[in-house]
Amino acid sequence: MSNASRALQRQLGSALRRSLSIVLSIAASMVVGSLIMLWYKQNPLEIYGLLLKGAVGTQRSVFISLQRATPLIFTAIASTIALRAGVFNIGTEGQFFIGAIMGTYVGYAFKLPMVIHLPLALLVGFLSGAAWAFVPAIMRQKLKVSEIITTIMTNYIATFLISYLTNYPMRASPVTDQTPPVEPTARLAQFVELNKNLGRATQAHVGIFVALAIVVLVYFVFKRTRLGYEWRMVGTSSSFSEFGGIKLDRAFISAMLVSGGIAGLGGAVEILGVWRTYKNLFASGFGFRGLLAALLGGQTVIGSTVAALFYGSMEAGALGVDWAAGVPRQLIDILVGLVIFFMAAEGMWAFVQRIKWVRAPGTERRTTKDLEV
Amino acid sequence: MDPQLVDILQRYLFNVANLQGMLRLATPVVLAGLCALISSRAGILNIAGEGFILFGAWFAVAGSYFLHSAAAGVLAAILSGLVVGGIFALFSLKFRAHIIIMGIAINIFANAATIFLTRAVFKQAGAFSDPSIQGLDPIHLPIIRNIPVVGDVLSGYSVIVYLTWILIVATTIFLYRTPWGLHLRAVGENPQAAETLGINVQRIRFAAVMASGFFASLAGVYLSLGHLKMYTDQMAAGRGFIGMAVNTFGRGEPIGVFLASLLFGLVDTIGWRLQGERIMPVYFVSMLPYVATLLALTVFTLRQQQARKQAAAANTKEE
Repeated sequence: MSNASRALQRQLGSALRRSLSIVLSIAASMVVGSLIMLWYKQNPLEIYGLLLKGAVGTQRSVFISLQRATPLIFTAIASTIALRAGVFNIGTEGQFFIGAIMGTYVGYAFKLPMVIHLPLALLVGFLSGAAWAFVPAIMRQKLKVSEIITTIMTNYIATFLISYLTNYPMRASPVTDQTPPVEPTARLAQFVELNKNLGRATQAHVGIFVALAIVVLVYFVFKRTRLGYEWRMVGTSSSFSEFGGIKLDRAFISAMLVSGGIAGLGGAVEILGVWRTYKNLFASGFGFRGLLAALLGGQTVIGSTVAALFYGSMEAGALGVDWAAGVPRQLIDILVGLVIFFMAAEGMWAFVQRIKWVRAPGTERRTTKDLEV
Repeated sequence: MDPQLVDILQRYLFNVANLQGMLRLATPVVLAGLCALISSRAGILNIAGEGFILFGAWFAVAGSYFLHSAAAGVLAAILSGLVVGGIFALFSLKFRAHIIIMGIAINIFANAATIFLTRAVFKQAGAFSDPSIQGLDPIHLPIIRNIPVVGDVLSGYSVIVYLTWILIVATTIFLYRTPWGLHLRAVGENPQAAETLGINVQRIRFAAVMASGFFASLAGVYLSLGHLKMYTDQMAAGRGFIGMAVNTFGRGEPIGVFLASLLFGLVDTIGWRLQGERIMPVYFVSMLPYVATLLALTVFTLRQQQARKQAAAANTKEE
């Protein structure tokens, strides 16, 4: 057998094994979910039916799914870039909201024609997200301080900074900690504003196309550019890539900055498309959910996008279940948490590897070394 | 001394109410810090403390509500800490799941599960309080309570506060005066060498994660039963991560964790006072622990790098 076909077989095998473990994980978590529903005195089949209906059952639910998925696509892609370069950017959460508040600021503080105003607000969102990732990136590369701890810290600093901004200098309402509304020239149009039959009673907006453009762009960067090649190489083996002439600092730091930037852009898009004003603590968890989507999607650009769409539509479905049957919508986060549990537990799937055709040759075994801080 | 300065010091720093506030606010942070400490000393970066605290807080209220006793609440919380810690350890150590991914999954799971449970069990959204929840009564220390000022500052807290002080001492003794503590430190500093010496690395780490679940669940108990006798969604409010901060700031030593927590407790009380008197927004003060940790990490590592350079320079000179 030639090397090429063997490599292809290996790739197919690992993809197959991966899909199988996803399917089994989802099935396992659905079983646990059914038990929860039975305890809640609900019929699991009915609830899963409602979940599906709420996710894709009607035109409206499809649009709600898109709206919920849009921010997750950004954070999932941001996480994917970092993970592929071997960095754990837990800071997407903070970068997302910093991008959102800065995008809001540009959105309400300036009066410009739309062709300048909207791109400017998005650009500022990107840049401020990247800036928020800068300190952890530098601390990791120059001081060898774990980016996990530093990005957790910057997340909280972002939360308090934004609480200050929305309560004092940017506050517009005497009643709530909320900024002035974004000028119409900086808004991303909602579908219903374009055509009143499209996504009626939803806030789905054209930001989904910005998200998809980023997906295509990042896919291209990974496949076709030197930067993407360097990210992949340093993520696979940093000592080998240094030997191969890749500047590690440049690769790591740029991956972290671009990751932060995309998260920040996602924040700006969420504000300009859905909310059009920044209400303090309007939501949370975009960064963490995006990270989970990236992990579900196997840390590939396409996989993470699909996973983010899936996660978003499940959230929409959970909203439907909450309205229709009174089952708390947090159920979906519980289920996704369980899927991650089952999927990440390689050791539990040891029996799967015993089946010959799903076994991937040369899969790495983790040692105690991986657990080290 | 300038009387104005004395006045400011008295108003904002050294008065009984402030010191009491400091000790109260520091307690859950110390416990979260011990949670981070025990796992980091075993060489594990455990970011699930936040989730453990949430479960601890929820089960403390549930236990106290259904069994009509604060002790039952404490036991239920500790049990939840051990169970969730055990699951976390099982998946990340035994099933070889990535420990950071597991930590994030646990945190999201805990957040969703406690909100879900509040709605499912108590039929309430957001928060749950009920007169039949038994809180932890304040303990008035004999003799000490009668000493002026000192009595006010040291006496009259709930049992968790005193237990926390005892745990600080106990953890120090454990780490430095017992063979298990020695094993734990060995595993944290050099797992391979520890393994060659016949120490069961996995078992030590498993126990360390369980212990971190125990500490974090007590932090949860203090949050829900220590003061207000109520459960609020997301009431951990980042304390699991502040615990990581004070552990870093206290350089992984129990006494360091305690002092760092006191500092943050003090800063917190001052912050609320400044906010109350409309001098400064509380947000900058709340930010301090996190900014301080970033600075501390920078300074520590710069110092380490310098020391290493000097050692290298000294070596070359000798040759």
